[in-house]
Amino acid sequence: MKRLLMVLLAGAAGGVSAYFGWLGVNRPVQSGDLAAQLAWIQDDLQLTPAQFARIKALHEQSSPRLLALETEVVRLREELTAFERGRLVTGQVDFLEFARFVDQRRTVDQACTESTRELILAASAVMTPEQKTRYLALLEPVRHGPLAQVLN
Amino acid sequence: MPSSRDPLDPLLEQWRDAPPPAGSVAPEVWRRIAAAKIRKERPDWLVQLEAVFARPSFAFVFVTACVLLGLFLAEARVSRLQAERNVQMARQYLRLIDPSFAGTQPDGAAAAPRS
Repeated sequence: MKRLLMVLLAGAAGGVSAYFGWLGVNRPVQSGDLAAQLAWIQDDLQLTPAQFARIKALHEQSSPRLLALETEVVRLREELTAFERGRLVTGQVDFLEFARFVDQRRTVDQACTESTRELILAASAVMTPEQKTRYLALLEPVRHGPLAQVLN
Repeated sequence: MPSSRDPLDPLLEQWRDAPPPAGSVAPEVWRRIAAAKIRKERPDWLVQLEAVFARPSFAFVFVTACVLLGLFLAEARVSRLQAERNVQMARQYLRLIDPSFAGTQPDGAAAAPRS
């Protein structure tokens, strides 16, 4: 009986150690910065060092423009919140102001779409057809519409 | 008439009172009886299982199988985490390259730090 228990315990200990050991070594790491994103793309698409350097440079070049657009998006979002708050308090809508806001929002959205499209196209141009297909497939599940629409 | 010494005499001279039985004999006897009873009551399958596990080759195979099962389950989990991470990373990447994308996402996908 003692021997049976010992073997069972050894098996359980071995299984649990193997499980957590393997998981600890291979657990994917989450990170949100650009370097981590690019490393993920490099790893997933198996980019060559030259391709990676070019794609990294493309992303870094577009970074200031993207930051400016992001600031604009945040500003418009805050403006919408303030607008909505005012509407709730006064019960009135300034349609001229709202039209101006909608117009600004449309312009910024178009700029964002165009900027994203340019960056994706430029990055895709560096890739082989297989890498490009994989790259677009990676982005596809998280887009509301088909990514092809962005690229057309 | 010379008296011849009986060969038993030296033995009789050495004879002493038999030592009293040790106090621990009775409990020991009962313990053995109980153990024998338990052995008798043990089901056949358990006896067979013990016999199988008593073989070193089987014990080795069993432990190895447990380790492999652990590795398999861990790898399955890693694959699932990897798939989730791919979706998460793609979402974060799109947020990085498309500022308007963050606004279309639910609260769970909060804005990630931009480097």
